[in-house]
Amino acid sequence: MTEEIVPAAPPRHGVLKLFATQIELRMLLLTLAVMLVLAISSPYFRTLNNLLNAMDQSVVVGLVALGQTLVILIGGIDLAVGSLVGVTGIVLGLCFPSLGLYGAVAACLVTGAVAGTISGAITTFGRVAPFVVTLGMMSIGRSLAYVLSGATSISAIPPALGDLSSLTIFGVPLNFTLLIIVYLLAWWFLSRAKGGRTLYAIGSNNAAARVAGLSISIWSVLAYTISGLMAAVSAIFLTSRVLSIDPLAGTGLELDSIAAVVIGGASLFGGRGSIIGTLFGVFIMVFIRNGLNLLGVSPYWQGTAIGSIIIAAVLLERIVSSRARR
Amino acid sequence: MALLELSGVSKRFGSTQALSDASFSLAAGEVHGLCGANGAGKSTLSRVISGHVQPDQSRFVLDGQERHFTSSRDALRAGICMVTQETTLAPDLSVLENIMLPRLGMPGALNWRRLREEAAQLVAGLGGDIQLTLDETVGTLSIGQRQMVEILKALALDSRIIIFDEPTASLSPFESEILFGIMRDLTARGHGLIFVSHRLEEIFGVCDRITVLREGRLVASGATTASMTGGELVRLMIGRELADVFARGDDPPAEPLRTGKPVLRVRNLASSPLVRDVSFELHAGEILGLAGLIGAGRSETLETIFGLRKATGGKVELEGDAFSPRRPVDAIRAGVALVPEDRRHQSIVPDLSVRENLLLAHLGDHRGFGRGYAARKTEAERLLDLLGLPPDRLWDPDLLNFSGGMQQKIILARWLLLKPRVLMLDEPTRGVDIGTRSSIYALLRRIAAEGVAVLVVSSDFEEVIGISDRIVVMSDGVSVAEFPSRLVSIESLAMFAAPRSSAKRTHAVLEELVAAHGGVACWVGIEQDRLFCFDRAGSETRADPGIAAGQIHDVSTLAMALALTARAPGFVTDTDAKQTLAIAIMGRRGHELGLVSLTLPAGNPLPDAETLTRQVQDRLAAKGSLALGKAA
Repeated sequence: MTEEIVPAAPPRHGVLKLFATQIELRMLLLTLAVMLVLAISSPYFRTLNNLLNAMDQSVVVGLVALGQTLVILIGGIDLAVGSLVGVTGIVLGLCFPSLGLYGAVAACLVTGAVAGTISGAITTFGRVAPFVVTLGMMSIGRSLAYVLSGATSISAIPPALGDLSSLTIFGVPLNFTLLIIVYLLAWWFLSRAKGGRTLYAIGSNNAAARVAGLSISIWSVLAYTISGLMAAVSAIFLTSRVLSIDPLAGTGLELDSIAAVVIGGASLFGGRGSIIGTLFGVFIMVFIRNGLNLLGVSPYWQGTAIGSIIIAAVLLERIVSSRARR
Repeated sequence: MALLELSGVSKRFGSTQALSDASFSLAAGEVHGLCGANGAGKSTLSRVISGHVQPDQSRFVLDGQERHFTSSRDALRAGICMVTQETTLAPDLSVLENIMLPRLGMPGALNWRRLREEAAQLVAGLGGDIQLTLDETVGTLSIGQRQMVEILKALALDSRIIIFDEPTASLSPFESEILFGIMRDLTARGHGLIFVSHRLEEIFGVCDRITVLREGRLVASGATTASMTGGELVRLMIGRELADVFARGDDPPAEPLRTGKPVLRVRNLASSPLVRDVSFELHAGEILGLAGLIGAGRSETLETIFGLRKATGGKVELEGDAFSPRRPVDAIRAGVALVPEDRRHQSIVPDLSVRENLLLAHLGDHRGFGRGYAARKTEAERLLDLLGLPPDRLWDPDLLNFSGGMQQKIILARWLLLKPRVLMLDEPTRGVDIGTRSSIYALLRRIAAEGVAVLVVSSDFEEVIGISDRIVVMSDGVSVAEFPSRLVSIESLAMFAAPRSSAKRTHAVLEELVAAHGGVACWVGIEQDRLFCFDRAGSETRADPGIAAGQIHDVSTLAMALALTARAPGFVTDTDAKQTLAIAIMGRRGHELGLVSLTLPAGNPLPDAETLTRQVQDRLAAKGSLALGKAA
């Protein structure tokens, strides 16, 4: 009888091994590197005020990117999140007079969740490519935002909502603290809950997940539901910041959120990615935008800079992680 | 001079050394068999020759010139072509377009009229038996016909070297006969053929020389077939006696172990279009083999039982209760487990760690919000120990880095963790090296001995006979035969498993015989003292020979024993006064493909035996038109 070949794990040691296997660690280092470069180039970047400003800026895109991460983990994509921020924000603004603060927030959240569920159900049960379904939903959402608002912004927002963005806890903005709490909850869910592991399994190998008895239909839909819900939550925070909501709100957030997820190391084919990676992806995006502003780079050039960074980050991640997987 | 000469071929896939220092040579006008057990590297070597796989090291000499192919297109240009099982045909294009497909990739305009003439010539060149309409859409052809199209495609490219990779895996014995006939013609015209197979009878039937691989290494190089016996070839292929591999102990049990009621009872199960009428019973403590050719609907049957496919008819009972899972989780919670056929696509979740892969079915079974991994820790470690895997391998991030055998063990452990009552395995040793194969067999025996009902699907007849207590044969979605495995041989199993599309022709002949002369007509095979009844027509009780389709009988107990064994040219009077004519059907290579028997009641007028014999033989002898009838 022949000896069975038991392949040894590739030799990796200590810090290097940690670096090669832990995407979160790589992202932390990358974020710190970006901060370092910007801190050296711009003195204003180093100020506390600017840091607080960056925290504030990361909330809206961060919340949307969280939902986007779940969708991308199952191998889908949600292009509708930006326009859902618009339409759910308008619903929030329109409902204040009749439903009060809490009623309006509830209506806003329900709208987002229902819209997400519709996208998820059509891709899952109707087997239509998520790109197509959410592209359609993106157009519908923006159109409804205009229709419902009469194409004007709504400024009659109860000042109490502004507390979300103005209060601080030990000097840290409340909204940023909440963002971190939501991310920690999501991290726990994705790594420790049955549903979270199911999302990974669906994205990595749908057929195998099915054979193993996982609830793939339910979770495929729920990923979009959560994405829609997070767009609504994001709309609430956006509204609280300026106490006004515009039907154009959230334009471009779909691309920013996808960029954050992808910079954060997730695979667009699904199954691979990390919620903490996404959070760092959000920070990198926000810092770079912020830094370019401070350095006086024309806004017209910023798109080129951000786009190049997305491509470079993904290329780098691909090289590093394929080494690690060998 | 050798047409093709390879030496020092090495190839590594990840952690598996698929080939090490193999060599191969092919002369014009010969059929060279490339043999080995599953995972021996024969497919890799043939794919190196066809340019599909780039070796890490090799010396490749074609026509005395050293060559280096970087793609299959290079090899095609050099006149090397491969005919595979997973056909590379475009199903929506016509036969003509498929045959000429490689031309579409060449520069210059196409002259369809010229191409049509060329194709017609090629078809004619294969001999008059081939009936192919050039305008037929390939998707509507039978598997046998598609293979002919593949061969024509190879010839259209003027290929001098054609590799046949397991060409008979889904062909009936009749269709195989035609294929072998064509192969002979091709060698006569100076082509060099490489025949990849692990079926002994075929290797000896068609090959001039044999090269044997075992675990990527050469164990016999270009030995002439005539100088070798079957037993020697088996020893070369697997490195020991066959009986050792299947870990059966000294003797298979005389009667399969059956304790009480069946655990699983399947009645007329259907799931359109591939599962049409499947019935069997599965008992605790036994291993039941589901045998058949590729495409017979065996995997689909398992999937239907497991809730992956919707049943469109029939019923399944699990321990006496109606069982109709709507989703796999229903089956899992009822104690049914399935190890699917395609490990890479249906079992392994590449982005989860080995540990999570092991716990995946547990996760599906688990109720609750968390993962519940901790509760399974002890059992998981016990299983790893049972499978001979070191526990620290659990923390490896990537199951794909494991060898095929190790992967399969982890997937087995995934299901054993749930302590199933019914364990279904689809091709459990595909891509598994021979060493691990026998440990998987031993494990299955052990699981069955512990009272689990085990159902194994395998296309490897040797495996299914070796591992099972009982065998149910499926053909075209129908369970056609059932018998204890100790009674059956690989050859007769192949006859039982023949697709209905080819069996239809023989059935029609039997029906015609009965219509013209009355009595009962049977299609049987005889091996030593055993009779295999493949098909039967007629129900006249006065002529009942006492055998039924899909069954195995002891020849000596039959009234018509004399007619079957004496091989007399005319009718023979049976011991109970009935009269039986046995007509032998010969294959092209002069070996017997079975007998047609016609039994008439005592005292009936007898038709002229000689005329009848000739008629039946003409209808059934392996004529091209027989097997190349359109798919059902």
